[in-house]
Order: sequence, then structure tokens, then C-alpha cells
Amino acid sequence: MQNAQLVGLSRQVALQRELDVVANNIANLNTNGFKADGVVFQEMLMPGVSANQFPAPDRRISYVHDRATWLDMSAGSFQTTGGPLDVAINGQGFLAVQTARGERYTRNGALSLNAAGEMVTPDGDRVLGDNGPIVLLPQDQNIAISEDGSISVREGSNATLDSRRGKLRIVTFAQPELLQKEGSSLFAAPAGVAPQAAPPIVRLVQGAIEKSNVRSVVEMTRMIEVTRTYTEISAMLANQSDQRRAAIQQLSDIPTS
Amino acid sequence: MRALHTAASGMAAQELNVQVISNNIANMRTTGYKRQRAEFQDLLYQQLRRVGTQTSDQGNILPAGIELGAGVKTTGTPRVMTQGALLQTGKDFDVAIRGDGFFRILLPDNRISYTRDGSFELDAQGRLVTANGNLVQPTITVPQNATTIAINAQGQVSATLPGSTTPTTLGQLEITRFVNKAGLQAIGDNLFLETPASGPPQDGLPQADGFGDVQQGQLEQANVEAVSEVSDLIAAQRAYEMNAKVISATDQMLQSTSNLLR
Repeated sequence: MQNAQLVGLSRQVALQRELDVVANNIANLNTNGFKADGVVFQEMLMPGVSANQFPAPDRRISYVHDRATWLDMSAGSFQTTGGPLDVAINGQGFLAVQTARGERYTRNGALSLNAAGEMVTPDGDRVLGDNGPIVLLPQDQNIAISEDGSISVREGSNATLDSRRGKLRIVTFAQPELLQKEGSSLFAAPAGVAPQAAPPIVRLVQGAIEKSNVRSVVEMTRMIEVTRTYTEISAMLANQSDQRRAAIQQLSDIPTS
Repeated sequence: MRALHTAASGMAAQELNVQVISNNIANMRTTGYKRQRAEFQDLLYQQLRRVGTQTSDQGNILPAGIELGAGVKTTGTPRVMTQGALLQTGKDFDVAIRGDGFFRILLPDNRISYTRDGSFELDAQGRLVTANGNLVQPTITVPQNATTIAINAQGQVSATLPGSTTPTTLGQLEITRFVNKAGLQAIGDNLFLETPASGPPQDGLPQADGFGDVQQGQLEQANVEAVSEVSDLIAAQRAYEMNAKVISATDQMLQSTSNLLR
């Protein structure tokens, strides 16, 4: 009889984790370049009793176990901002970012410049081009980022010739779901997952930002489902508890004849 | 339950978002105002099962781990330094910069500040000042009897003095630019200060070497776009509501747990 309670408890713990994931998705509804998480559960079978000579064989009990959170790598909607340093990635690609902890990858294309004229993320980490960070000069105007990531500018009063300032490094992964979220809209590549240069089908869009890919309706539905299931299991556990109390009371009723 | 705090971080972020949007809308008609944008990032993750962990001696690895995020944080509210529309006013001392650059303004405490608001006036001594009475640098003095004041695209201020038919040059407006103009610090009154993030100021003449040119009789409007602000406001409001819903859902779950105890 304890088993029913433990099975219910295992489900409730898993539901709490799922709500944590849903809450994080909803909290990041307006985070640029955010990728939603999903949760996968699996059944965990407990071994049956070793003595198997009962008339009806003991059945195995299955618990719920949260196996994984998976990354929903679908594209978010693009918001046009018109900012010259805003880029959105059309396709499965990432911008490479140089951080203190090593190379990281992001889809948050709200870039800016630092005091040295280098292109940086909102956290101030340098965005990498094919030959290291990309540096713009103070007199550069009309920054144009082409679909393949090449950055060209008009330098000073030169109104006819473009100067090239480098090319943004766009990388892609054979299995992007293996990437690890690090916070700050950054993804880390675990050992054995190597970035490759993105194929030409991955294109940059200047003047747009990729919003979060969290679908609010889906998250709300998941949340309702989680709360309802949780409540149902609570009711089930309460029934179990009542049943056991009744059993204890009735069994301990010593007949006084 | 972690979801409570995660949702609270989401509500706090959206509250800040609404605050930034409302400031943009409030300054929709402010000359030289540059709109701000709240930027968010996800907070750190707790790895309950790390992705890529080896699960067997045969080298099988976990294709996906369990990562629980802790919510959202605001990274910054950078300014979007795009050009605002120019509004024709016809006033002699209204000047707008078309392109890169800021006017230099001397504050009463002798600090130099920078502005895109070119609605200048003359003070009692005939010097060019901002609407708040701060001196425009370098100082340009307009004689009392000067007529037909002209400011050309290169920033030269000239006027016709009595007894003369040719215009006399009174001074030269200079402008300043920064590598990262979004890194300037706003101090109100349409003024900005230099910061370590903006890079050092580079002074120059309008229309020279990539600087913008100066337009007399025009003012630069705020670069706030009503449509995008309102749609951002709706998005922020809905996101706030949904985070509130998560909190009530968590509350309901906790309640049903505590009801177990009878």
C-alpha cells in the first residue's frame, strides 16, 4: 500500500520539475534568442518480489522518472528593429562568441560596439569573425551586414567605395540538441561536439532580432495540465491515506464478545 | 518550488520592460531623444543530469540531460542610436544633425556633455545656448544688430551686419562622435556624458570625414516608433500576466499538497 503513495510521489516530483521548466520558459518569453526546454519522462520499473510462487504473480511497479529536458531548436519569430547591428539568423546557425570561459555560441543577435569599436554581445563578450573579433573604426558609417555575415562600411567621407571589416563566423552543429545552455543566451558545446562552418543556406538578416521561441499557448496548456495532474494525484494520495487509516482502525478493532 | 522564484524573475523583468517602454512613449515628442530597449537573457542553469555523460562502458552518451533554468535577468537597456525624423521649424537657431555626431554643451560645473537636441537660443550676451541656458561649445556670439543668420551644412554660422552686404562668419559649430554612442550615459535634459564604454570623444567639423551635416531650421524628432512601442507593450503585458499565472498555478499545487495533511 505504501507503493501507491510512492508512485504518486514520484509523479509529483516529476511534475514539479516540469513546472520549473515551464516557469523558466514563460519567464523568458521576451528573451532574444531564447530556446524553449521540454521535459521527457520515462517509466522506471521496480523489480518484483524474488519469491515468485504466489498464485497470482507479483506485478512490477513502475515509477515516473524525469529523463531529460530537451532543447526546442526551432526558430523564434523575427522582430524587425532597424538597428544596423541587430542580426537574426535564418536557419540552424549560431554566432560564435569569445568569453572568458572559452568559445560560446548564441542566437541573440542584438549586438553593439564597445569602446574599442569591437562588436560585442549585450554582456560585452566579443563576437568572433573569421579572423578573430571584428573591429569597426570611429569614422565608419552605413554598416551593412550581408547575408553571409560579411560586414562592409563606408569609411569617413568616402561615398563610393565600401571597406570590408570582416565576416561574422556563423557555425552550425550536427546535433544542436547536444548543446548545453549556459545562461546569458549562450550555449556551450560539450566535448566531442565540434562546430562546423554553416552552409550557405544559413543566412543573416540585418535589422532584425530573433525573439524567444517559447509558444505561450503551449506553455499555458502544459502548465494547466501539470497543475491538474498534480491535484489529481494529491487527491489519489489523500484517498490512499484515508484507506489506510480506515484499515488500521478496523483491523485494530478487537471484538469484545 | 523553484517555479515560484522563476516566475517572479519573469514578472520583475516584464515590469522593467514596461517601465522602459513607458519612458519611450513619454518621450515620443522630445527633441533628440533616442529610444531605449530592454534586453533580457536567461539566468544560469542547474544541471541535474549533464548532457553527454557516458552511460555505459560501450561509450553510449546521454543525448539530452536535465537542465533547469532559474529565470530571466535584464542585461541592459541600450539606446537605439538611429536617426530621428527631421521636423521643419523655420527657426534660425534650430539645428539638427543629419548623420553621426553630437553637439558639445558646457555644463555649469564645467563638464562637457553631448546632445542631439539642437533647439538653441541666444542668451543676454548674444551667445548660443541650449534651451536650458547651457553654452554650446565652441562659444558662438551673435551681435545684437546681426540679421539673416545662416548656418550652413558644414556648421559655419554667418550673419549680415549693418552696413555690409556680404555675410560675416561668426563662428563654427563643431560636433563630436563616439565609437560606441550607445554607451553614453544619459543625464536627462537631452544630455549625454562620456563613459568608459563609449570610448573617447572625437571632435570634428560637420560633413567632414564621416561626420553628419547640420540642418538649419530643423529639429531632430525622437526616434520612437509608436507602433512598435505599443506592440512591445502588449507583449510585455501578456508576458507579465502569464508569469503571474505560473505563480498561481504553483500556489495551487502547493495548496493541494498541504491539503493532504488532515
